[in-house]
Amino acid sequence: MTFFATNGLRRAFGGVVAVDDASVELHEGRINGLIGPNGSGKTTFFNLVTGMIAPDAGEVVFRDRHIEGQAPHRIARSGIGRTFQVTRVFPRMTALQNLLVAVRRAGLTEVLRSAMRGPEVERAEHWLERVGLEHLRDAEANSLSYGQQKLLELAGAMMGDPQLVLLDEPAGGINPVMIERISDLVRELNAEDRTFLVVEHNMDMVMSTCDHVVVFDRGRPIATGTPAEIQADERVLEAYLGV
Amino acid sequence: MPSVSSRWRIAAAAIAGAVLLMYPLVAPNAYLLYVAVFALMYMALATSWNIMGGLTGYISLGHSAFFGLGAYVTGLAVTRLGVPHLPMAVVAGVLVGVLAIAIGYVALRVRGASFVIVTIALVYIFNLLAQGWRDLTGGSTGLRVPAIGDLSRLQIHTVFFYAFAAMFLLALATWWFIDRSKLGMGLKAIREDEDKAQALGVPTNAYKISAFAISAGFTAVGGGLYAAWFNALDPVFVFSIIIGANMVLMALLGGVHHLLGPALGAVIVVPASEYFLVQLGETQIHLVATGLLLAIVVLVMPDGIIPALSALRRRRGPPAASIRESSAETATTSRVTP
Amino acid sequence: MPSASLLLQGLALGILTGGVYALLASGLTLYFGVMRVVQIAHPAFLFLGAYLTYFLFTFLRVDPLLSILVTVPLFFVLGVAIQRLLLSRLRPDSFTMMSVLLTFAFALLIEGMLGVVATGSFRSVTVDYATRSFQLGTVRLPYDRLIGFAVAVATLMLLFAVLRYSRYGQALRATIQHREAARLVGIDTDRITAIGFGLGLATAAVGGAVLALITTFFPAAHWGWIARLMAIIVVGGLGSVSGAALAALMLGVIEALVLVTLDATWAALVFYAFLFLTLVFRPQGFFGGRLAERF
Repeated sequence: MTFFATNGLRRAFGGVVAVDDASVELHEGRINGLIGPNGSGKTTFFNLVTGMIAPDAGEVVFRDRHIEGQAPHRIARSGIGRTFQVTRVFPRMTALQNLLVAVRRAGLTEVLRSAMRGPEVERAEHWLERVGLEHLRDAEANSLSYGQQKLLELAGAMMGDPQLVLLDEPAGGINPVMIERISDLVRELNAEDRTFLVVEHNMDMVMSTCDHVVVFDRGRPIATGTPAEIQADERVLEAYLGV
Repeated sequence: MPSVSSRWRIAAAAIAGAVLLMYPLVAPNAYLLYVAVFALMYMALATSWNIMGGLTGYISLGHSAFFGLGAYVTGLAVTRLGVPHLPMAVVAGVLVGVLAIAIGYVALRVRGASFVIVTIALVYIFNLLAQGWRDLTGGSTGLRVPAIGDLSRLQIHTVFFYAFAAMFLLALATWWFIDRSKLGMGLKAIREDEDKAQALGVPTNAYKISAFAISAGFTAVGGGLYAAWFNALDPVFVFSIIIGANMVLMALLGGVHHLLGPALGAVIVVPASEYFLVQLGETQIHLVATGLLLAIVVLVMPDGIIPALSALRRRRGPPAASIRESSAETATTSRVTP
Repeated sequence: MPSASLLLQGLALGILTGGVYALLASGLTLYFGVMRVVQIAHPAFLFLGAYLTYFLFTFLRVDPLLSILVTVPLFFVLGVAIQRLLLSRLRPDSFTMMSVLLTFAFALLIEGMLGVVATGSFRSVTVDYATRSFQLGTVRLPYDRLIGFAVAVATLMLLFAVLRYSRYGQALRATIQHREAARLVGIDTDRITAIGFGLGLATAAVGGAVLALITTFFPAAHWGWIARLMAIIVVGGLGSVSGAALAALMLGVIEALVLVTLDATWAALVFYAFLFLTLVFRPQGFFGGRLAERF
């Protein structure tokens, strides 16, 4: 089974080609890193894969099914969770409510059920506990620190019980202790059979956490391999240093 | 499990409601009863509007389109097909609700201010159609709808007092039900951050369109009841921006995040504007007053009266015992109603 | 099948009207550019300007074109004041909703005050030199329309020149394109935003004078223009002045053609039809290019 692959993905904005013939394959169960200089198309790639924007060409396959061009909520429900580069939470909702927004099964009877009761609440509380935020259960999300919001976002992404989790710069803008905490969480969750794709600029985190790394430059992957391998790769150095 | 104090509150509300429902029996004259019916109508309309506006954050300034549609569909069916008034108003609500699904499918492709513009355009389109399609609607001379029966004015007002009251209670119940349901959770997430809601699996289009259609349907029922009550439909009036603007103003004034916010706004605005109408007799002053009030609400208390009152009550109350307590309190009181 | 001369007439009138539409819509693009505000009261201000022009003409015998010299600075100051004192007070997190409601309130206020002061009677300004028409072959070009077109085009060119060549204009364009970057190079974006708003309202003063000349108006007339101008902006692509101008011309011509071949109701519906079609098929507009934004 093809767990996750993109084939010839392409997307342009006006005259600028952000993602150009991107073919990437991810193996199940690994923590994958996605690195590359600024403007290399990483976030656009994310947005294409999660359905936020539609590709001009190419396909995205997840667990043998084509998902390119699908609506983001459908992709989310099919088992792909994501976080955002600039952490987004629902500011005036409590931490618990933030998690309760996640929809796993759509349908008329489901949608009319009470939001604050039922098994979903237990699951939400469980995830709050996992990320260490259970004491902030009833706190408004915009009163949380940035690092806490990042954890909340991660918990939210997990509510859909995803097999593939896409993290967009999880280490951005937080202190090293928090980075360590998030890395530990990623490793824990990975041990529970979840595949990760992490976009990151923080090389320490990438090298220490990821099993496999894909390097993007100018909209397409230019190298893949273990962290050690791509560290030694000439093309990667060229891309970053412009040498 | 509702606590003892909230049980008392519900009981008190029910008693107050029952007392208010006896108003037609004690109203001193037909005019004061008329004002009450008018207020109830707007309480119902503003609450219906809030099913969309308050929960999703999508502001429709064109809800009078649905009001007018409901009025005309009901009026025409009663006039041409002879069907009874009140059931027809409900049927009109359903029909307009279904139409609103199609309209919403297009209109909700845009967000924010674009959406507002589209709703304004909607009112205008129906205004033009109502005035232009003379064979169907009677054009700009309007439509006369036969009265519900051979009754005195007092009796008609009484009938529609209860009709609008029923509609109001139903709209209230619907808002309450959606608010506490998963649909409501999704709608509020759309309001806070629509893209993130999608990333969490919320089918935002379906949810938005549903809220839009339900809100439109209820508003149309209000229009239908109006047609049956007033008996004279003037396209310039029923398809005017002002009705929609009033709905928005009332909801905003009372507080869009609260169940009774729109009703509170209506209870304040309707009697006040009737009073000014009698005193000044100038309909253009209406516009100045509405505009001024709306501007003040937006600038000074954008969250509405109810939150402003509870903030006042908190400030006057006993001071917090420790820093931790006060931060916990502020953390829980301004959140979204669960 | 309508005659060629009729169609030609429609085309000519459409171009003349389209030019005016372009001016009227340019203000909206400015407000949106500097503040991301969709100023619903812009048409109301247009008619406020029209009424001012009318009263200056009727009571002081001031030629409508000369009254522009009075109304433009007045509206500019008004625009700056509104932005500084009112719009900037709105909370950023609910800005979109609140700015729409606030500008909507302005529209109600203006319409109400106009109704109280001027009553609901239809007004217009007729100057002697503008009542005749210029005959070009089979096409009749009314002088008032020609003058309106000339004023509109002249103002637009002046606006373009200011935006392009003056320091304020360049600072304005920088702020519109990227507020943060503009601030980083030392531009006082708050001040520039106020100026941008003032400029937008100043175009309303000119537009109002033109409207007074070419059409009859009444206090509630602005409602019909909101959707019209918004349709132009949406079709043209939000944020693009040239896109709006092109869309204005196109829609002006189509409207005029429908007017001469069918009737006024259908002509009015043209704008709404285009608004909805654009939203369905291409929400980012047709002429805006990369600058165009999607809400």
